[in-house]
Amino acid sequence: MSEFRVVGKSLPQIDALQKAIGETTYVSDIVLPKMLYGRILRSPYPHARIRNIDVSRAETLPGVKCVITYADTPGVKFGPRSEDWTILADTKAIFEGDEIVAVAAVDEDVAEEALELITVDYEPIPGVFDPLDAMAPDAPLVHDDKPGNIAAEFSIQAGDVDDALKRSHFVHEARYFTNQVYQAYLEPMGAVAQTDASGRLTLWVGTQIPNMMRMSYAKALSMAPEDIRVIVPDYGGAFGAKMENNSHLVAAVLAKKSGRPVKVINPRQDDFIAGNPRVPMYIDMKVGVDSEGILTGKDVKIVGGNGARTVYGPAIVSTACYRVDSLYRFKHVRAKGYTVYTNTIPTGCFRGFGNSQSTFALESSLDAIAEELNIDPIDLRMKNAIGPNEVSVHGWKIGSNGLRECMTKAAETAQWSDKRSQKKPFRGIGLACCNHVSGNRAFAREFDGGSGIIRVGRDGRVTLYHGESDMGQGQKTAFAQIAAEKLGISLEQIDVAVVDTDVSPFGLGSFATRGTTIGGNGVLSAATEAFRQLAGVAADMLEASEDDIVAADGKFFVKGSPEKYIPFKEVANQASTSRGGAPLIAVGSYIPPTQLPDPVTKYGNISPAYPFGCHIAEVEVDPETGEITVVNFVAAHDVGRAINPMATEGQIEGGVVQGLGWTLMEKMVVENGHLVNPSFLDYEIPGPLDVPKITPLLIESIEPEGPYGAKGIGEPALNPSMAAITNALYNATGVRILALPVTAEKMLSELHKLRADK
Amino acid sequence: MKTRISVTVNGEKHDLEIKPNRTLSDLIRIDLGLTGTKKGCGQGKCGTCTVLLDGKPVNSCLILAPQVNGKSVVTIEGLGNGERHPLQRAFAEKGAIQCGFCTPGMIMTAKALLDQNPHPTEMQIKEAIGGNLCRCTGYTKIVDAIDAAANIVSDSTVETGGRDV
Repeated sequence: MSEFRVVGKSLPQIDALQKAIGETTYVSDIVLPKMLYGRILRSPYPHARIRNIDVSRAETLPGVKCVITYADTPGVKFGPRSEDWTILADTKAIFEGDEIVAVAAVDEDVAEEALELITVDYEPIPGVFDPLDAMAPDAPLVHDDKPGNIAAEFSIQAGDVDDALKRSHFVHEARYFTNQVYQAYLEPMGAVAQTDASGRLTLWVGTQIPNMMRMSYAKALSMAPEDIRVIVPDYGGAFGAKMENNSHLVAAVLAKKSGRPVKVINPRQDDFIAGNPRVPMYIDMKVGVDSEGILTGKDVKIVGGNGARTVYGPAIVSTACYRVDSLYRFKHVRAKGYTVYTNTIPTGCFRGFGNSQSTFALESSLDAIAEELNIDPIDLRMKNAIGPNEVSVHGWKIGSNGLRECMTKAAETAQWSDKRSQKKPFRGIGLACCNHVSGNRAFAREFDGGSGIIRVGRDGRVTLYHGESDMGQGQKTAFAQIAAEKLGISLEQIDVAVVDTDVSPFGLGSFATRGTTIGGNGVLSAATEAFRQLAGVAADMLEASEDDIVAADGKFFVKGSPEKYIPFKEVANQASTSRGGAPLIAVGSYIPPTQLPDPVTKYGNISPAYPFGCHIAEVEVDPETGEITVVNFVAAHDVGRAINPMATEGQIEGGVVQGLGWTLMEKMVVENGHLVNPSFLDYEIPGPLDVPKITPLLIESIEPEGPYGAKGIGEPALNPSMAAITNALYNATGVRILALPVTAEKMLSELHKLRADK
Repeated sequence: MKTRISVTVNGEKHDLEIKPNRTLSDLIRIDLGLTGTKKGCGQGKCGTCTVLLDGKPVNSCLILAPQVNGKSVVTIEGLGNGERHPLQRAFAEKGAIQCGFCTPGMIMTAKALLDQNPHPTEMQIKEAIGGNLCRCTGYTKIVDAIDAAANIVSDSTVETGGRDV
């Protein structure tokens, strides 16, 4: 890594000190002149007809400036994937938390008081709450025009699975269940909205997809996309959740009607009941293997809960159907996925995007297969792991691939062999692997790519504009490091502009672990063009050929003669001065060599780069109480190249802990459509005392398609955690966990069952 | 009905006329405009609103304004006294900040810990920040940062702003 001066360095996030001193303005901190505070009245029933709404008392409460119902909205149906959304409910509430009425008032207390003065006459009707129940022929319909409550179906097939499984030495078959969990970012969702005299709308919103959101919202508001400006200030975490949400649109409608800026921030309970948590899935999986331990085929049926309207459920279920197939050298695979409406909270993206669910299933199955064949779980995976420069069963062109090295290094660090062979009672060690994408061509169908704009001012200050999103993962810093490296300057000389759809490039956004690879390549392209222009100016100043100009340490010089240099600032000054004061502007773009999958076979290379990983967990179980302690965790990830090793480790540590929370603690308890635990008091996420020692290992396979060799890390950081822990639990106790989460109570009852069976 | 209170925040005395049900977090964020203190749950469970009340860390969303009458509050903005407090620098330098929404509360809790115990063990650090949630980092680098800051603080007496700190 010594070849680089900025890339590959563990530098602090460029905005970290600002955050540490409390001077960062998050979305929920924004205050505008004459701003009102909005609140949403939500349905207390999971399924109810709305017979009448009386807002008259709320409207006359002093301090209330605006009340809106469905009639105040454009009344169009819209949605990012399926047009089954309305901003406020019309004649029927379809989940507990559904938006019914909203108010804007001079302060939050008045807004809350106003909600209590609204009377809604509901007629509760039978609902359906579990996706399997919702598929029954006589199930109540969530949407009258969606027969069978089917939101989407997905099929994929390659090879001849039936034949492959028939000829297998052993076929492992199981039903897995992965539950609905909440992303639990610390800043709740919300937005500030303002309209100007021309009717143009500005939204300040914490979102991973500013540009795509604008398209969805244009339809919802019956506006032209260019009349909506989305600005993305700093915001407090997302993990997949912060895409489209009605709270933003409610703010927009309130602002339009009241003529004043309106801030709507979900109170935490609202966020629990009307955010967009993880898609719960039933996964029926068959995996075959021959007597040598070579995987023969995989057949899977998945039923995923969409909730009451479609966020990204169908794309998540389809991802669960096949992404994990490209982890190994499968030749015969088949999957059928159903995304099913229920009268529950609409589900959406959460780190892993369906691949985490199916990774839990497949990696649990492989653990069982290894035991059946009496081979080491690592050996089983080594025999089957896809390698570098191979093409997977679905046409994915794997570039660099450090999967085997991940396994080897993780095993060494965790002392795998010793701990497997010298097993202690109620202590166990388990592992799981994962693959993922760095961008998903199948997600946004219009185009794929990333771009950047670099502005170099006459003062030498460099500003980078991008169209992705920094939700806290450090995207801005990674981009700044990529640009600084190319321009030969330090991180302090670069500002990364706030994403603003009026100014920034049209980025697809931060999801599918695409930011660093695809967005980063766009930034690198812009920086390369900026360097080309600056080098031309420097060449004139140095009376040398442009091709011989080098930039490093804030200087331009002729290759081999670093002592005769011109400071970056002087070159920038000259570039601007010679152009009548114009800043130097460089635009760059990256179009990845990906393919839109075939509509029938889904065959096609969907990502420019594929990250891999291997997690090893060590656990202890208290046989008297069932209490589970994760005592040690090793997480090895092929990240291509770590643009910022410290930040990459931070991604891994955070991902592992989210996986640990999902496996052992987190559960949205829904009873007849009612969420029983909509608060951090009753929905526990890991705290510092729940976290074991985590050792992240960065495996740098140097991806040819990645900027400076980088691949993504966001989602793979979590994907294998669940199965690593449950496989360790099996090793510790002989209890095979097929459904998440496994709480102490559940472990204890499984231990009792195991003893009774003996 | 409003009530009059007098409270010192970051060394500055404020005489305020406020509703008796005003929470300390809203007083700080809305009435005084100090938005460094965050509001993550409003139920005293996430710790993002942690401030020091007479030197002790409290969830400011659970404290009503009249309860702070005559008392002294220090928020994240009052730490450091013009200079960055070692905790603030260590959090930034050690990678303990991702989205940063938990950071001010986390730092205030850590500050109270180091005031009481300049040489905490790893377990003591984890116990002290047990009421502060972070969803991004997995806590490892936060614990490292507090440990690093402890070494700096105990090596030199650092003025930390706010009259009573």
